[in-house]
Amino acid sequence: EKHLVLLRDGRTLIGFLRSIDQFANLVLHQTVERIHVGKKYGDIPRGIFVVRGENVVLLGEIDLEKESDTPLQQVSIEEILEEQRLELQSKQESEKLKVQALKERGLSVPRADTLDEY
Amino acid sequence: ELLGEPEDTLAERLTRLVIESELEDPAIMRAVHTRVPSAQPAALNAGIWDGPAVLRRIRGPLLAQEMPSVSVLDYALPQRPPQAREEERDPSERALPRRSSSPVIGSPPVRAVPIGTPPKQAAVPNFNQQILCPKPVHIRASMQQRYPAPYGERMSPNQLCNVPNSSLLGHPFPHSVSPVLTHLQRAQLLGGAQAGRMSPSQFARVSGLVGSPLPSVNPKLLQGRVGQMMSPAGGFRAFFGAAPAPPPPSQPQPPPGPASHLQGLRPQPQMFRPDTTHLHPQHRRLLHQRQQQNRNQHRSLNGSVGDRGGHRGSHQEQARKDPYANLMLQREKDWVSKIQMMQLQSTDPYLDDYYYQNYFQKLEKLAAAEEVHGDGPKKERTKLITPQVAKLEHAYKPVQFEGSLGKLTVSSVNNPRKMIDAVVTSRGEDDETKEKQVRDKRRQTLVTIEKTYSLLLDVEDYERRYLLSLEGERPALMGERKQKICDMYDNLRGKAPGQERPSDDHFMQIMCIRKGKRLVARILPFLSPEQAADVLMATARNLPFLIKKDAQDEVLPCLLRPFSHVLYHLPLGTVTSLVQQLTNLPQSATAPAPANLHLAAVLQNKFGLSLLYLVLSRGEELQTSDASTELMQDNQWTELMLMATRELLRIPAAALGK
Repeated sequence: EKHLVLLRDGRTLIGFLRSIDQFANLVLHQTVERIHVGKKYGDIPRGIFVVRGENVVLLGEIDLEKESDTPLQQVSIEEILEEQRLELQSKQESEKLKVQALKERGLSVPRADTLDEY
Repeated sequence: ELLGEPEDTLAERLTRLVIESELEDPAIMRAVHTRVPSAQPAALNAGIWDGPAVLRRIRGPLLAQEMPSVSVLDYALPQRPPQAREEERDPSERALPRRSSSPVIGSPPVRAVPIGTPPKQAAVPNFNQQILCPKPVHIRASMQQRYPAPYGERMSPNQLCNVPNSSLLGHPFPHSVSPVLTHLQRAQLLGGAQAGRMSPSQFARVSGLVGSPLPSVNPKLLQGRVGQMMSPAGGFRAFFGAAPAPPPPSQPQPPPGPASHLQGLRPQPQMFRPDTTHLHPQHRRLLHQRQQQNRNQHRSLNGSVGDRGGHRGSHQEQARKDPYANLMLQREKDWVSKIQMMQLQSTDPYLDDYYYQNYFQKLEKLAAAEEVHGDGPKKERTKLITPQVAKLEHAYKPVQFEGSLGKLTVSSVNNPRKMIDAVVTSRGEDDETKEKQVRDKRRQTLVTIEKTYSLLLDVEDYERRYLLSLEGERPALMGERKQKICDMYDNLRGKAPGQERPSDDHFMQIMCIRKGKRLVARILPFLSPEQAADVLMATARNLPFLIKKDAQDEVLPCLLRPFSHVLYHLPLGTVTSLVQQLTNLPQSATAPAPANLHLAAVLQNKFGLSLLYLVLSRGEELQTSDASTELMQDNQWTELMLMATRELLRIPAAALGK
């Protein structure tokens, strides 16, 4: 049965869950990494994944019947990667503007990656 | 036929997993080979009942792979394929020398192998050894499955004492064997962790005697039978040679014979009710549904072959579709979920998980209420049944050596050694400036608030404790509760019983702090009417001041509801004086008061306004309802009303408009 795993860095993996252990380390078979941008998504086949438990956020089972009816539209890999890049870019730009504006007002919000993850 | 099928996959697995055997023992290879053609599992099954030759053959390869074991513990843990498991074993898995003193309070119980190591070798071969080569009773009583205590089950204190980690035992056993049991329990505890290393998969391969009771027993176990004794796993039964060992009394299903249980292992989900009682109810339902679907599908595929044939067919079907499915056996899955459930164990759920418990209590009450009305299908409350562990009393006995004077000081997690001599030096009094004094005073108030809060939480909890406690303890509880309430009140008003309590100062300080206001609101229901009235008066007296202070927090309205409750119980006299306080009217009507700022402030604030309204309406109620008092208090009230209205009129309309 297919499972969907969400990782801490935001990636979503879909595959057959073969094995787990008490730390939630996962072994996924025939894994596909799915990238979502807006309403489109793209799949990258990856093969076998072994995921360390501490990076797992969510794990859920995919209902095979429901999998087919989704409002999302599947596109090719290149397209989705391109979309992702664009989205990332725009986010970065808006973030920069925000920081700029805050700086002018004398406030500074520390960036997420400089904060401790926990 | 039947035995052949699982055996095939068994061989498959073996070959798949044996990547390279470190112990390229000819014995192993021989064993592997011999296993494939012959009905090895069957032989192992037959176990005791076979001749020694068979057993020796089994023993041979197994013995050859004995792990280096600590003499103290004296295990013989055969090392069998899959060697793949070896990588998992890190050095910590090797049996550590036991710490000579590991009292629970001193340090957490030491396990020779950490809890988290996956279950490993089946003990059956080990077990057979025991039978043949009479070793002393270090029966590592094959505790393969260490399940948490049956949920909701109470264990006798005796067992608890014997079994520090009692939660990990889980097999019922006839009472007759108790004395030996204890010893075995201990032995098993010593090796407890290693036992836990047995893998369900290993176990499946060497099914044998030990396997027999477990599949059937576990579901029952987890369903929470009461009054079962803990014991090592069923291999123990075999040891005593009683093949028809008395099954646990209330077990509905008879333990399957050696032949069928082998089948029972893999197709276990179909044979027995699967071990899913610890799953979330919805999850369990889904699983069942899915299984039934599969079963139906496969049955229809294979026609009406007998049950067993049907099962075999289903397996093949699944195997065809997905050769990698079921890499994890049910055993392994159970093992993992067992660990996860262990983490949820708690001796005092109300302490650890207060909000969850309360939430579900409320839900249940709702459900119960609904059920009274309607009778529809009982909606399964999706509550995860977490195992409950009884509180264990640990007596810490510091280690003592013979012939020494005094005791050793053991430094551990629970009593750390003192490293630094930290001395608190308070600076001189004259240094303190005004600011510091103010700050200290505020700090003191904060501390008072916190202390009172803890008292309040205790008082609020008394109701629950009351229900749980025995009859004899209840008066004591009530007494405690009363005492705490008094303490709270004292805290609020400032402990100075000698004085006439002239100053509201202490109270005001508390009221200036947001948390203090909330605290007062929560305490009010518990106070006696006089005390509550006192609080009200103090508030009313200083209302403008409070209003000013509250401008930022806006928490005063939270006081409104408890105030109104209190008002309800107050006699007219008090109400009258309340009005007086609120409006700050002088006692006598004669003295003309200057512009009444007090009243103005009160009226301009939402809280003040509502309070005034409440008080006035209450006064009116009392006035009109009670005929007798009317005569006496009449004048006072009406006079007051007159004055009040006069004042009201005096306040410029503009100011009121705000």
